[in-house]
Order: sequence, then structure tokens, then C-alpha cells
Amino acid sequence: MSILIDQTTRVLVQGITGSQGRFDTQYCVAYGTNIVAGVTPGRGGQDVEGIPVFNTVRHAVDETGASASVIYVPAAGIKDAVLEAVDAGIKVIVALTENVPRHDAATAVAATRAAGAWLIGFNTNGMVSPGKSKLGGIGGDRADELYVPGRIGVCSRSGGMSAELSAALAAGGYGVSTCISMGGDPITGNDMVEYAREFEADPDTDGMLFYGEPGSENEQGLAKALQEGEITKPVVAMIAGVFQESHPAGLSFGHVAAMIRSSDDSASAKQKLLSESGAHVAHRLGEIPELLNAALG
Amino acid sequence: MRLTEEKVKEWLRDNRFPVPEGSSAANSSEASAVAEQLGGVAVKAIVPTGRRGKAGAVHLVETPEEAAEAANALIGQEINGYPVKEVYVEAKFPIQSEYYLSFAFGPRAPKLVVSRHGGVEIEQTFERDPDSVVTEDIDPLTDLKPWDAVSLWERAGVEGPVLARLGQLTSRLHSAFRNADAIMIECNPIAVDADGHLSLVGAMMEIDDNAMFRHRDWSSEGYSFGAEGRILNEREIAVMHANETLPGGALRYTELDGNIGILMGGGGASLLQHDMIIDFGGKLANHTDFSPAPSIEKPLAVLNAILENPNTRGLLLSFNYLQLLPCNILVGALCEALRQHGVDATSFPVVVRVFGPGEDEARSMVEEFPGVRYMPPKASLDEAVKLIVDLTNEAVASGSKS
Repeated sequence: MSILIDQTTRVLVQGITGSQGRFDTQYCVAYGTNIVAGVTPGRGGQDVEGIPVFNTVRHAVDETGASASVIYVPAAGIKDAVLEAVDAGIKVIVALTENVPRHDAATAVAATRAAGAWLIGFNTNGMVSPGKSKLGGIGGDRADELYVPGRIGVCSRSGGMSAELSAALAAGGYGVSTCISMGGDPITGNDMVEYAREFEADPDTDGMLFYGEPGSENEQGLAKALQEGEITKPVVAMIAGVFQESHPAGLSFGHVAAMIRSSDDSASAKQKLLSESGAHVAHRLGEIPELLNAALG
Repeated sequence: MRLTEEKVKEWLRDNRFPVPEGSSAANSSEASAVAEQLGGVAVKAIVPTGRRGKAGAVHLVETPEEAAEAANALIGQEINGYPVKEVYVEAKFPIQSEYYLSFAFGPRAPKLVVSRHGGVEIEQTFERDPDSVVTEDIDPLTDLKPWDAVSLWERAGVEGPVLARLGQLTSRLHSAFRNADAIMIECNPIAVDADGHLSLVGAMMEIDDNAMFRHRDWSSEGYSFGAEGRILNEREIAVMHANETLPGGALRYTELDGNIGILMGGGGASLLQHDMIIDFGGKLANHTDFSPAPSIEKPLAVLNAILENPNTRGLLLSFNYLQLLPCNILVGALCEALRQHGVDATSFPVVVRVFGPGEDEARSMVEEFPGVRYMPPKASLDEAVKLIVDLTNEAVASGSKS
């Protein structure tokens, strides 16, 4: 098994006729992803690599039964693209766009969550269930080599680091059940702990590997779930960005930011909190397999 | 992007929010002329920072002569690290009571904070009288209704006729906050006079840099910041300009006080390698955050900045295993920059860890530059980082000997 997607998932691509959408889609199809439709308003009736293109997500879903969407739309249009997917009943949305305006991100995420759908992103390179399916550019044309099938669930705030983490796992004899680049923008559709819960419930995942950064409350949520016994499988975590703590953020401007932040979101505070909550904290990629060996016995 | 007070007040005025009359002044005669019209005024340094009162940047005066003196005293000074070029001269408002209101972002949605105590820093209010502070998430899918705002102010302990006015103002300000793509607005204080009229006497605002495509009019108005709140230097501004005008993925460049220049692809790997450089005993001349896309212009812009920074003594070009920028394009940018700046890699260490498409061509390109170390295939991030730290430290040591 794997989480959120497998070889049966029917996938559509919003923005399939753009260069990035077209480029990634070729590699996804070659990987085995079941891409059934593309959507670009005004290009309905055409095809890309034999994949039929529709004018609207609704029409594509009606014709093909797609339940997941990968979105290649610039920041100015991403909010509407996500809302359109949600409106058409899509349940897994991968939004690659980075630097999404904050208000747009908040609106898109609120709508997605209200519909009970998943939103991977913003600022992701996608997700892969090795040997089954991949959504987005993750792994490019070398996904087979970088993401070896196995029993560790991976969730990373950084797309590029998901490849480094998976390569480090492979070097230590481990493989990946599902690897999710959850998004690196300040607002993401789902939190780290929500992916952890999916890995916890997946019988084919034995342990989990997370990569985090300063800012956001993702790691604090994961730590809480570990403390409360909600997550029982071994967790290895790597948090980068400690250096930022030696550069004071400058004289404060408004005061409210400091006040509404509920916890210390520095990298070292997250490392400490996760470690105290039972996670195994790695400082080098090479330590990851050793920590898993010790934790999995 | 932070807006300074006169811009915020102008924006509020344009959106029909009540603010005291005021105007900016670039010298003492302008300040005196404004005070002539307004009577008793506050003369405030225009700098993009809070805590101006504490820093001595606000003078309360009664006459045009005093306003001129205050302007003379402030212009040319440095307040909290920022040079004062202008002052804002604003009519004093006869304050009877003060309130606090702000909008900012929580993890997933905007948050509103209100308090019945204005005029002091909100952290202090929260410490002294937490019940007077109400914090609430705002559903991004709906507007903040005036009656919901009234109930929030009521929870913060506000009573009487001012409630209706505060509720209406809060609802309207929420819409304005969203329409302006602001990520922070802090009104402290909202002042009320003896007749019950409201005025946004203190107001700070920050606009979302990522939403500038909807607000071209703002783009030349505010301040963007480098490390530790500094105003950007010429090289940082050049890269920011390149980021806005050239094709390719998002690019950021911030100078720090060390000597190892870095260009790395992917935000995550940049953070991790930065930590590792410090662990191995190195110090960075800059941080970069670059989402690679297949074009040479952006990497060249940042490499030029790195090589023009007089503190840089070594360079690490290190990318993730897989990226969208073919190695020959990226390393082509490196070679071009080394050529343009006449860099001798035998005394200025250059380490390259770039794998993937175009790698063979990239490897042969650097052969033209003796001393450039191209890491062998599958070399880890750790190895590349350690090498640049060791080589740079050696280069610095031998440089200081000679």
C-alpha cells in the first residue's frame, strides 16, 4: 500500500498545455501514472501526448472519472485553479505554484479543507508512491533511481530535499512507501501531522522520515501527536536552518506577529521538541539509516 | 514590503478611514508650513520601523518654529539604524480613549487581535491584562461582518456607543486588508475624542511581496529588507531587480558577514548546507534561495553579485540531485562569471556539486579554469561543504601570510 495515491488513481493535469505541465506529464506517464485528462480553457478537444484536453475540470471529471489533479498555473491564477478542482469534486490536489499570495493561499486551503480534500503544496514538486504513481515533477526522469520502493514514509517541506532524503534512505538499504513534498510556502493545504497519521495507518509503512525548516507550526503538531501516543511508528526528523538564529530578524515592525505565534518556531527549538517527544533527530543525511536501524531493531 | 507611516496614512485616507491630518516634510521650512496650517503637531521621523517613540523619533510641538526645530533635529539622524530623510507632520488628536486592532496571519488564516487598551505595546497589554485581548481566526471564505466584529470588541470589554463604530471600522478594515494584499496591519492606537469620533492615530502595514503583480502602484513605495533588518545594498538590489525582470524561477540573495559565497538550488538544501558550513567551521558571505529553471540569466546575476562582494573568498555551487536546470547551463553561468571577474580558482577556491543532465559537458567546461573542484559523481552534500570550508580557510590563512 501507500498513502493518497497508487497505480489506480485517475489523474488530470490543469495547465497541461504549458511547457512545464507538458514536460512533467511525459515523465509521469512513463513512470506509470494513470493520467486520464488535461485541462486548459480554450484548448478543449486537443490532446497532449494522446491525453485528451478539456476546457473545464468539471467536464474532464465527468468524462474520465479523475479524482486527483496536478496544477501548473502561475501564482496569479492558482487560487481559482484550486477552487475549480475542489468544485469538481477532486480529492487529491497537487499545487506546484510557489510564492502564492497569502490571502489567495488561505482561501484555497480553506475551501479544500471544507470539501474534505487534500491539498499538497503550495511550492511542492509533487509526490510519489514508488513503483506505482507519481504526481508532479518529483524525480524527473530519474524517479526510479532516486525513490526506491520500500517501507519508510517520507514527508518534506522542501521538494529538492525529498530527493536527498530518499537517496540517503536507499544508500542505507531502505526504500520509500510514499514520499510527499508537502509544500514550502508559509501556508500549505495539509500539515505534517496529517501525513504522519496516514503513514501511521498504512500497513506497508514501518517508519517515517520528516524534513522541516524554521517557521510554521508543522513540527510542533507532529511532536504533540508523538507525545500523545497518536503516532507510534518510529519517526526520524531532520530540521535545517539553525544558522538563522545567529541573525536577529531586525528591529520589530509590528508587534502582533510575536504575540500570536504560539510557540518557538526556530530550527533548534523544533529539533529539541521533537527529540523530547520521542523522534530521532538527524543532523546529517548519512545518520538517517543508522537512526532507523536503531529504531526499527 | 513595509510601508512607512505617510504611505499608510495616505492609503487609509484614500479608503475613507479616519486619520489625523498630516503631511510629509523634507526640511524645516516645509515642516513649519504644515504646522502653520495644523496647529499643535507631532513631528515624526519617517523610518520603516516601530518603537519610534522610544527611539526619540517623535516630537510633540505647539508652534511652527518648534516644528521646524524638530524637523532639523530629526532629518539626517539615524533612527533604529535607518537614515531619516523626511519627517511626517501630523495634527495632534484630542484623545479621550484608546483601543488596539490588528490583522495578521496565523498558520492557515488571517487572525484579528483587538484590545480595549490602546497606545501601549500589545505584548505588554497581554501580560498585564490578558482578558482585555481577544484573538480570533477569520474564515477566509467569508467577510468579517460588522456584528461579528462588535461581539469581538464586546468580549474584549468594550461597552457603550463606541462599539458600533469600532465594529463597522473593523469590518471595513478587514476588507481593505484583504484587497490590499496586506499581511499585517496594526492600528495602535485607534483614538476616540470627546465627541466619540474615531481616528487611526497609529498605523503600520506590510504588503505581501508575492502579490505585487496586483499592486504595481505599491512596488516603488516601500522598503524591502536584507539580513538583520538592514536596507538592501547595491548587489542585493541588483539581484532583486534581476529576479523581477529576468526569466526563470524565484531568486533571493542576502549578504552576511562571512567569506564563503554560495549558490544553491532549492530552499531546503540551501538551509541544510548553510548549517553544515557553520558546523564545519566556515562562515557564509551570503545566503541564496533559488528555484532553478532552464535559463542562464538568473544564476549569472547572483554569481556576479557573489564575486563582486569584497568579502567573498571562496565559492560553492551545489545543487540537489535533481533539478530543472541542466548542468551545462548552470556551470556555463559559473564559467562566464569567473571569466568576467578574472577569478583565479587556484587562490580563490571554487567547488561544484552539480549532477544530472548536461553533466559531461559541464565537467569539460570547467577544465578551462585550473583549480575548480568538480565533485565526483554521487559525492554527498557533506563532502562538498567540507571541501569548500577547508579550502577557503586555507586560502584565507595563506592570503594573510603573504
